[in-house]
Amino acid sequence: MDFSQGIAVVPVNAEISPAADRPSQAQAFADAMGMEKPEERRTTGPGYDRAKERGLPRRTPRVSLIVVLPENHVVSPDRLAEGLRAHGNQDVDVVVACAGQPTNLGALQRSVRDAQFLLAPAGTSTEDLRELAMRQVPGDIVTLLSGALLPAAGADTSLLMTS
Amino acid sequence: MPTPRPLSVIVPVRDGSATLARALTAILASELPRDDYELIVVDDASSDSSAELAARYADTVVRLTMRKSGAAYARNRGAELARGEVLAFVDADAMVRPDTLPRMLQMLSDQPGLDAVSASHEQIAGAPNLVSQYWNLLLHFGEQMQAGTTGNVASPCAVIRRQVFLSAGMYDEWRFETARLEGIEFAHRLEDSGRNVFSSTELTITGLKHWNVRSLCSEVWDRSALLARSLGYQRTRTAVPSDVVFTLSRALAPAFAVLCFVAFSAAFLPAPNAAVKGALVVLGTIALNFPAYRFFAKMRGIPFAIVVAPLHLLMQAINGLGLCAGWVLRDAVGDREPDAATQAYAEVGVEIWPPVPRASGR
Repeated sequence: MDFSQGIAVVPVNAEISPAADRPSQAQAFADAMGMEKPEERRTTGPGYDRAKERGLPRRTPRVSLIVVLPENHVVSPDRLAEGLRAHGNQDVDVVVACAGQPTNLGALQRSVRDAQFLLAPAGTSTEDLRELAMRQVPGDIVTLLSGALLPAAGADTSLLMTS
Repeated sequence: MPTPRPLSVIVPVRDGSATLARALTAILASELPRDDYELIVVDDASSDSSAELAARYADTVVRLTMRKSGAAYARNRGAELARGEVLAFVDADAMVRPDTLPRMLQMLSDQPGLDAVSASHEQIAGAPNLVSQYWNLLLHFGEQMQAGTTGNVASPCAVIRRQVFLSAGMYDEWRFETARLEGIEFAHRLEDSGRNVFSSTELTITGLKHWNVRSLCSEVWDRSALLARSLGYQRTRTAVPSDVVFTLSRALAPAFAVLCFVAFSAAFLPAPNAAVKGALVVLGTIALNFPAYRFFAKMRGIPFAIVVAPLHLLMQAINGLGLCAGWVLRDAVGDREPDAATQAYAEVGVEIWPPVPRASGR
């Protein structure tokens, strides 16, 4: 599949949050969910940032979490929180790969601050979304989290969904 | 903490885009509930799109950069991330059957004293060309002849209890960048510490790799030389008689052929003509290789056995030379070791990503 057509990469809040000062994804999500705050990260600090800037070897792997949302699929906050918690205290780059335009972009932004959104054309398959997102993320360790099919009307409204 | 799963399937891959999709699809088609296992693919600095391809199927993809480090190193990185109580290592060019992994898990569950189970090769190769078919059949032949004795906890597919894997020190990352012998060395360590490893000829996988004469020569040379240099011929032959190195070296047909040719030329006056000498040598090599040729003929027919006979002889010759080279290197240079910088980093304990390769069990 040619991914060069019809893909939009949307870094949410990127213009108002300098990368060095941003809280981690796990922290941001923990804030949003009212969770316990993670402890200080091993991968933060002036030494780590300088190494990244110079392209020197890193002490710890860069971690990315890809949330894959084909059309009519949702992901529950609990699953997302579990995906972030799996990496403990490390910084996690979160990328939400959607097929079609998410209807509740605001809710997604609030839940996962600093996330990047990859908006693929409607109808893009789960596998293609995964591959597309993999090409975009910088992580050495990349965890992929697939959404579930949209439940019937009246189901849990806290789910993050695409139309 | 995330919910632990019973099984973590770890697939190391390097430039494996030709077979990776089939291998991962086969794993996902296993007769196991999807929530019961996680699929981790470790990309060993591939120059192709293996990582992106892996992302289509896997739960986690690990990208190792900087340099190619080998399957042992890649498997260890996957094991460090794994959350399963049992680890399954499946090659990126191996296609498991739907019941392979469930039956392996069941064996570990039914037999608490069993620590690791490995599968063997089916007689049919995934690639249709003659060389691939020959190689797969040869692997199958060795495993069938020495059923139950394979001490190889890695290729092409093996499961092991996670705690046992970690406590045994994982795979040796220093010596096995190319040849697939890390599983044999690891099985040695397991058995030395009283662990039980079982190889089943009923649990099978299909080899998917496309072999040609050149890649096969390289594989046989690497395996033979490294086995003689790092593992020791006698010890490995006792522990793992089913390995293809011993399948090839058992008959010593090329050495016999050379000796016969010299003997016929020197011992008879007048010397027999070339046709007679050639015929005698061919008859002798056929006699020595008869069990293998009979197996090939039984499985694929006499024409197949005739066609692959010269290839088999070539592999035996390379195998013999590789073993000799390994012995010479072992005595003259010593065991294989990584470059000085890697050794220094490992000694100091520098913490970087990807980690510095580690030696285990020496």
